[in-house]
Amino acid sequence: MLPLMPYLVAVALMFVTGLGCLMIKRDMVRILIGIEIMFNAANLLFISLSTQAAGFIDPFPHSVVMMALVLDGTVIAVGLAMVMNVYKHYKTIDVRKLRRLRW
Amino acid sequence: MVASEFISQGFQLPLPLMILLFGGLIAPIIGLLKERVKIPRIQEAWMVLVAVADLASVYLLYQEVKALPGEVLVMVLWGQSPPLGGCFEIDMLSVFMCGSIAVLGLLVAVYSVSYMERESRLTEFYTLVTFMMAGMTGIALAGDFFTLFIFWELMGLSSYVLVAFLKRSWGPIEAGFKYLAMSAAAGAFLLMSMAVLYGMTGTLNFALIAASLRVETVTPWMMLLFSCMIIGFGVKSAIVPLHTWLPDAHPEAPSPISALLSGIVIETGLYGLTRVLYLTFDPGFFQLPVAVLAVLTMSLANVLALLQTDIKRMLAYSSIAQIGYMLVGLSAGTVVGMQGLFLHVFNHSLMKGLAFLASGSLVHVAHTRDIDELKGVGRVMPLTSLALFVAFLGLGGVPSTSGFVSKFILFNSAIGVGLWWLAVLGVLNSAFSMAYYLRVMKNLVAEPSDRVKGLKEAPLPMVAVSVAMAVLIIIFGVWPQATADFAKKAAEALVANLDTYIRVILG
Repeated sequence: MLPLMPYLVAVALMFVTGLGCLMIKRDMVRILIGIEIMFNAANLLFISLSTQAAGFIDPFPHSVVMMALVLDGTVIAVGLAMVMNVYKHYKTIDVRKLRRLRW
Repeated sequence: MVASEFISQGFQLPLPLMILLFGGLIAPIIGLLKERVKIPRIQEAWMVLVAVADLASVYLLYQEVKALPGEVLVMVLWGQSPPLGGCFEIDMLSVFMCGSIAVLGLLVAVYSVSYMERESRLTEFYTLVTFMMAGMTGIALAGDFFTLFIFWELMGLSSYVLVAFLKRSWGPIEAGFKYLAMSAAAGAFLLMSMAVLYGMTGTLNFALIAASLRVETVTPWMMLLFSCMIIGFGVKSAIVPLHTWLPDAHPEAPSPISALLSGIVIETGLYGLTRVLYLTFDPGFFQLPVAVLAVLTMSLANVLALLQTDIKRMLAYSSIAQIGYMLVGLSAGTVVGMQGLFLHVFNHSLMKGLAFLASGSLVHVAHTRDIDELKGVGRVMPLTSLALFVAFLGLGGVPSTSGFVSKFILFNSAIGVGLWWLAVLGVLNSAFSMAYYLRVMKNLVAEPSDRVKGLKEAPLPMVAVSVAMAVLIIIFGVWPQATADFAKKAAEALVANLDTYIRVILG
């Protein structure tokens, strides 16, 4: 059984990093990277928890993480396609220039 | 038999889900066929056919679930038998949600036939609509958190692209990216809550989670789990601090999609929240936070709706307010509260669907979304405007429309558990909301301007759908017995028959 605490600290750091990246970055691609970091923090939590069952490594979280990786990959792909369309209209991918809709 | 078993794997899919997934996969081939062979309207015909088959299969599913002793049907999705692998666990609540999705899906499919006829890329449009319905149906039927998550992302992905569908102008693109960024971040929160749940119970199966967690005392982990869930589901269902994407995304989408998004997608988010919160926590634990969120949601949304000049944007804010009323039922947490919640989900899907479709017809004909510029349109488009009036009266909760019945049950349930202030605030908000509906109604019947005078009534399928929905709203308002009983059964499946739900899996 691996010690859990270092992994929990890493997960918390990654999640906060991703959330901060989502909130303060101006570049749309970096926002998508922030989302990716948040997903990966959750995946890491799954994997580290899978070692905590007594005597064996639970295969169930691994299968969940496999599917979750595919899902967030597709979300990011759609996001990147939208960034391309934004670039066509605005000639920039700075998210603060997208102010034409009232927030 | 409602499910078909795939050869040798023990892999079952419920029939409504199979029809929608199959329909979505065939739709691109149909599109190709249309380009090569030039059969007119074959894509529209396929979409309507899929929607009708979906509605019929939901009825078959209802019959099968009703015939079972505990009214719970379990289907193995992948891998081993349910506690270890994924599964669909179908009770009356799932059937109720599937029914709401199928009814609104069919009406929207018929409406789209003439609304979208001048658009290009119809193949993508119908494929995505079918997959969005498949995602919602899958969420309603899921029996474990992981299956729910997969269909959650399917619904999300299709709706991101559909919001940004009219990509030649800047509005939809900007709204689509905002929706995607917020919803994807919420998806990460949802995955986080799944991981925490797994750490606490060692499983993601709903029945096992309910069996092992509901009795526990409050720990810091429970608080973390609760906040992750509220954020994860709350963004999709537009609970107020997390609602900012909705007033942009819903108006910018094509009108049939606005109707689907406001009418049923955000309610599916609320269904997920209700199901998971109720299975994970004791109702006493989440009563107060959800009540506060409900008050915030309905008050803020009603005030902001009053300030809007764009009719579709006003309707989007009104959707957020309706989510607030539904949260009243969740915070009550009793059978009556849940009955009100799910009855309002169904009624709201018809009313808000109609409001978006009818105002979509106005926009389609008059080419403006500004409420003041629509002055007098009611006199040149009488049928559409009459239907819109019925929808507005229903949303405001006027007696003899279906909105009154469900709101009455909702506020009653809040009084039933002693939350007087919540019921009073709800009624006040409901009365206040009439202000902005009446403003639009007054504008519609005013003296028409020159700009409006030459306009004609919308095409026949659009008018027919609007009028049919208006008639349904009145019917369910005057004779609410059938829908109210079905909603009560759905609520009992969630609240009173929780033991059956658990025992079916545990054996």
